[in-house]
Amino acid sequence: MYTTMTVLTLTSLILPIITTFIKPNKKSLYPHYVKTTIASTFMISLFPTTLFMCTDQETIISNWHWTATQTLELSLSFKLDYFSMMFTPIALFVTWSIMEFSLWYMHSDPNINQFFKYLLIFLTTMLILVTANNLFQLFIGWEGVGIMSFLLIGWWYAREDANTAAIQAILYNRIGDIGFILALAWFLFHTNSWEPQQMLLLNTNSNLLPLAGLLLAAAGKSAQLGLHPWLPSAMEGPTPVSALLHSSTMVVAGVFLLIRFHPLTESNQSIQTLTLCLGAITTLFTAICALTQNDIKKIVAFSTSSQLGLMMVTIGINQPYLAFLHICTHAFFKAMLFMCSGSIIHNLNNEQDIRKMGGLFKTLPLTSTSLTIGSLALTGMPFLTGFYSKDLIIETANMSYTNAWALSMTLIATSLTSAYSTRLILLTLTNQPRFPTLTNINENNPTLLNPIKRLTIGSLLAGFLIINSIPPTSPSQTTIPLYLKLTALSITFLGFLTAFDLYLLTNKLKMKNTSHMFHFSNMLGFYPSTIHRTIPHASLLMSQNLASLLLDLAWLEKSMPKAISHHQISASITISSQKGMIKLYSLSLLIPLFLALLLIM
Amino acid sequence: MCMADTPSRGFLMPCALVPWGSPELGWGASSLVEPRPLPAEMVATQQEMMDAQLRLQLRDYCAHYLIRLLKCKRDSFPNILACKQERHDWDYCEHRDYVMRMKEFERERRLLQRKKRREKKAAELAKGQGPGEVDPKVAL
Repeated sequence: MYTTMTVLTLTSLILPIITTFIKPNKKSLYPHYVKTTIASTFMISLFPTTLFMCTDQETIISNWHWTATQTLELSLSFKLDYFSMMFTPIALFVTWSIMEFSLWYMHSDPNINQFFKYLLIFLTTMLILVTANNLFQLFIGWEGVGIMSFLLIGWWYAREDANTAAIQAILYNRIGDIGFILALAWFLFHTNSWEPQQMLLLNTNSNLLPLAGLLLAAAGKSAQLGLHPWLPSAMEGPTPVSALLHSSTMVVAGVFLLIRFHPLTESNQSIQTLTLCLGAITTLFTAICALTQNDIKKIVAFSTSSQLGLMMVTIGINQPYLAFLHICTHAFFKAMLFMCSGSIIHNLNNEQDIRKMGGLFKTLPLTSTSLTIGSLALTGMPFLTGFYSKDLIIETANMSYTNAWALSMTLIATSLTSAYSTRLILLTLTNQPRFPTLTNINENNPTLLNPIKRLTIGSLLAGFLIINSIPPTSPSQTTIPLYLKLTALSITFLGFLTAFDLYLLTNKLKMKNTSHMFHFSNMLGFYPSTIHRTIPHASLLMSQNLASLLLDLAWLEKSMPKAISHHQISASITISSQKGMIKLYSLSLLIPLFLALLLIM
Repeated sequence: MCMADTPSRGFLMPCALVPWGSPELGWGASSLVEPRPLPAEMVATQQEMMDAQLRLQLRDYCAHYLIRLLKCKRDSFPNILACKQERHDWDYCEHRDYVMRMKEFERERRLLQRKKRREKKAAELAKGQGPGEVDPKVAL
């Protein structure tokens, strides 16, 4: 029953996609059909997850033997372990809420059926990625989510920014895919298998090369520093896309990959240090960037990137189960933050600048409440969802024998998280409205309210339920001094106080010119403008010089045809006494000849 | 949790299960510190831990409490708030194990420091440097 219901969960998602090919559905009921399918799939997926929590029994399902070469056997197999069993219902729950939200958000879009189909295909590929028992199947899911990300970011393809953002996402993800393919090749060459059971069994001395490849892949997919600009740019897509792909599911695929390979990474100190430092720098840098953004979706996007960095830090301190717990809890409140942003944006006639919002507490009570709860969960407010993972991560990092700089950066980033969350709430919800007064604001639609309510309940209770339901994965940090235990709470409170104080001050202070630090943060560290201009400029300059100087000038003019002709002409002029005056020569021949003929006659 | 890299096994074992005095322990290899007192014996057998399918990282001196906890959780499912006592027992055992390891570590560290000081003093005396002994009449 356990395996049957899991296979049923996966196959029932494919039915709505197949029906669009067999019987193209132009009716308005298709989105509701997709939403209902996902809701029922979520209910079905709870059974195997509950059975797993009760029995803690891992299973591998091998369905279809695809091909076998001399050394490699490929088959369609699903691994139903702790990670896939926990993540599947959470992904389905979040997707169900986002689908219902999309019914309201995208109701005026003429291609709403196609939009829902794309979201469904994305979800299917994501579940393929999560449940894959071999690297090839995982790669299929990996590329699938990348392609769907491209299609969904560029949904409004008539907008140039959307197209640019979609291409950007593809390019940065492709750089990460190089690492993935490198790891694939290495494992095939050294272990003759792409199945984790065999790879981990044969790989006693873990080599740095494949792990570095996997880290590069994770950095690309999970928007770590260096490969991060695509994530804030991806906010050009519709808000449901941002909520599903770029907060809860797709961006965590990179972290998920590292979690899957944690038996290899935990025995390699170099890769752990790299992961830790990369995660720490990412979490701090993106938190700094989020402080000075004015677009509500970009603030949440940078917040997502910062949390992904925190997950990397957690893997770097050899706590993959904690990182996975943070993936699960983060999905709830981050998707909800995006949905609340979408509600605000839609109600303010597509206004995304938080400087032009304000006073929404009375006009959008549920959205405001949910936004506040989501932000509190994000900052790690005690006993909300985020607390159970984030606080544990900070405590474990404090008690680990780890790099002090990485730990300090993580703590500062935690403080900045509460700072920008406070800024977001204060500017968006409180004080006087700064938008036009004739804006029609209402949140009466149940397709908007119900998903937000569901995710709010998830943000309140999911952490508690998950932490008490899962089997123990590692001993808890019970032996910890009080000052370390209270570190996370105190620095979060410090960040909140600082942001609140600065906000109160800015009401009274005269506007000053922006400082260099502000400019650095507002321009996202100048990273996108440098990288996106320098490399294409160098390529274009090189190609121009190659074409004009190397080909035209050097080859055609300086060396071969024109040079030869030039040399020949100058040589002939110099050597010969002939001046080339053909007419004169012919006349001087003809005239004496004519005169001679006259004389003879 | 203390982990020692055991090349022969290819995975990390808890320090407590690695033979005392082996080089894999690192700091625990000196002869200055005698093996730890109780509780340093495994209550849960290898067969019991295999039957319970415990993760390798959790197979330590407190594994018997963990097995009891897992059994309680399975029996009381779906009551997720049950098994508080079993959870506390396991946590407390891990806490005692941690405290004992830290005490051993600190003791060995201080013993090594004392050994280093004594060797330094002996080396200085051998060279003729250092404070030496002073005649009471001269001191007064």
